[in-house]
Amino acid sequence: MLNVSLNEIYSETYKAYRSVGIEWGIAKDGANLSRWLAEHNFYFLGSTLKNADLYKTGKISLSLRNNTLKKPFSAALMGLLLVEYISSGNVKWQGYIYDYKFLIASMAIIAKEQNVNLILKDNKTTIAYTLEKNIFLQKDKIINTNYFYLEPFHLKEKLSLNHLETLKALPVPKVNKNCWERLKLMAFETYVPESETSKTGAGY
Amino acid sequence: MNIYQSKINFNDDFPLRHPADVMKLDRLGSFHQTRLSFSRQLIDELISNNWKTEIIKWNINSIGTGKAVIKISSKQRIYSLVVFCHQINDDERSDRVIAEKWDMTFSLFLGIPSKEELDEMSKNLKIQELGRHLPKQLTLSRANKSVRVFNSVLNNLSEGKQPDKKMINNIGYLVRTTAVYGNGKFGIADYLPETNDNPLNKPFQAEMLTVYLIRYFSIELVNYLAKEKGKDKSITLSNEISKHVGVGNATGLGMAPFLINHQKLIHKWIQARETAISRVLSIKKLSTYNQTKIFNLIERAYLYTTQWNVDDVIQFKRINVLRKELKDISNNKSLNGLLNNDYPLQNVYLHFINKISIETQEILNSIFIEPFPELLDDLTNEMGTDEQNTVAIGYKVNELIKIIKDKYSWALKIDIMNPDENFYFWYTSQAKLEPRLGATQIDHGKEKQLPFDIPQQVQNGLKILTKLPDDMTGAEAMILHPEIRNIIKRVIINENFPFSEIQNNLVGKKVRPIDLLRCKLSFFGATKYDPKSNLWTRITLFQGAPLPHQLQEENATEWLFPYLVNA
Repeated sequence: MLNVSLNEIYSETYKAYRSVGIEWGIAKDGANLSRWLAEHNFYFLGSTLKNADLYKTGKISLSLRNNTLKKPFSAALMGLLLVEYISSGNVKWQGYIYDYKFLIASMAIIAKEQNVNLILKDNKTTIAYTLEKNIFLQKDKIINTNYFYLEPFHLKEKLSLNHLETLKALPVPKVNKNCWERLKLMAFETYVPESETSKTGAGY
Repeated sequence: MNIYQSKINFNDDFPLRHPADVMKLDRLGSFHQTRLSFSRQLIDELISNNWKTEIIKWNINSIGTGKAVIKISSKQRIYSLVVFCHQINDDERSDRVIAEKWDMTFSLFLGIPSKEELDEMSKNLKIQELGRHLPKQLTLSRANKSVRVFNSVLNNLSEGKQPDKKMINNIGYLVRTTAVYGNGKFGIADYLPETNDNPLNKPFQAEMLTVYLIRYFSIELVNYLAKEKGKDKSITLSNEISKHVGVGNATGLGMAPFLINHQKLIHKWIQARETAISRVLSIKKLSTYNQTKIFNLIERAYLYTTQWNVDDVIQFKRINVLRKELKDISNNKSLNGLLNNDYPLQNVYLHFINKISIETQEILNSIFIEPFPELLDDLTNEMGTDEQNTVAIGYKVNELIKIIKDKYSWALKIDIMNPDENFYFWYTSQAKLEPRLGATQIDHGKEKQLPFDIPQQVQNGLKILTKLPDDMTGAEAMILHPEIRNIIKRVIINENFPFSEIQNNLVGKKVRPIDLLRCKLSFFGATKYDPKSNLWTRITLFQGAPLPHQLQEENATEWLFPYLVNA
């Protein structure tokens, strides 16, 4: 296991996503979500690598409408955009999501930054909601579905959700060394061998 | 005069300058140290909270190798600078980030390191980027001696003589750093601005403290080695010369992307500086004491320029013009009257603004701000921020188009099909993991470029937006077109934080990255910018700053424009 900083998680994830061709803005969003998950002691590294692989092999959707059980919507890459979309249009959304914890990260981030209240459900129960800049959820609850409902959250529903807990930032967990090395190798793909013209005047 | 009336303006009389004027590279590249600079903020903190410095471990031998620990503490926290000194050959000594060996490697540590932590650092600090570092380390850095100066000072002191002042001034330091890493690099601690009980929670305070302490260490080291060499005959470096010894730094492109990547933070820095300028220009009356201070600072700035020596042709000419214009202002017969009337600094500003170079305009701003720390306290607390990860909701496509046309008109005017406007691309070097500039027509790797081609992105984004329904939300537009996410986020941030975007084409043939470096370095409080090309510069930090034992002396906070008499 290896100690890594939050900044390293952001930076290496961002570049790793870029290495598989993910657009700059989306790669940054994805890196911010991985960083949030790490900061809140969620398992993030394997999920990040898996999302990059799925993107590369075309097995994940970036579309709000065209997502299926076989090709679900990528919360890791598009989670922030989805919560912005729902918040700005005050609309409800439902669909197949791959790795919903990235959606929880997205909800938490937009709640903190823009004080937006959202609620995430599966077909039976509430999984998480945001209120007054905090996120509330049952962190260890096992969710057996890939189909989710995300919508604006109204305060009147809160009474029935007292069993959900808020989260606090924790020290960065250690990460699996092999997974970390894999992420770094992917990040390395975005680097360029230095040219002679680049060296000219650069103090070599 | 182009003035900026916006929602971020405040109730003083003199408006902030317009971002279209301020956020140009030729102006940003003319900034000087101000009272808001981070090294100045650090010294103010050390003074106001009565920080104490103590060497608690000194295992340095007579040839200058070994380790030392310097403790520095306030009522709230204890930190240590852990330094390892190494012996290296002259041909291994490079002051660029590309070096692999250094005279000294060091780190600012939270608390006092245990023996185990020191052992761990002894293995990793010397290999810098190749090591994994401890989460209690706040910074990671290295420095080389300026061998000529260091040896000369050592020899002189060991023989009971003070060194040649001219040489001290010409170089300005005993050691120079090549990189001071912070914020989680290579496993060290993350910078967490929201931590209220952290006395170093303002931007770059941990890095500045590291440099300040290595400056102290460099002086202690040369005094110690002189004593080892000259025994009873030796003396220590005089207070006057010690104070003029700063820390050198060589800075290249590694620093440049910061200004582009941290939009909100840069806005905060520039806005604080512009607000400070606006506030002092709004002062209605100056006391005789403060009038004299302004006179003295103009004179002091002039003297500073007489000791600011560079080889770079462009900077050499700029310094000559600056020197002449400062002399002209100082000798101007109307200056006394201007300072004696209502709105004195505004009078001086408006009287000279159109007759002087940008370099002189900006040094005048540093002068104007200097005597009024009481007007700046709240601003120094506003210079840090969390970066925003989400895009502000509520913007429709037609509003985004309007913002682009309004705020990015500078980018829309650029002919992005002209090869000269795509002359360069920025990339990360495989060998050094540092940003570099490639030539588009010559070098490989453009497909891996960093997203600094802002005009290109703006124009492409606008083209896409104009094809979408006016009332579509920005979020939906970005979901449909993820390729515009990056630029739309920038545009919306810029709408709310107008000093967040440099208004030049950073991939155009005319770009001078040195201007980006100087802007950031001015916020660090650097002096004596000494460009070695358009891509890197040497500078000096903490020259003229009080040493730890001088922190409680009268006027210790005032060290703008270092000048060594008779040098």
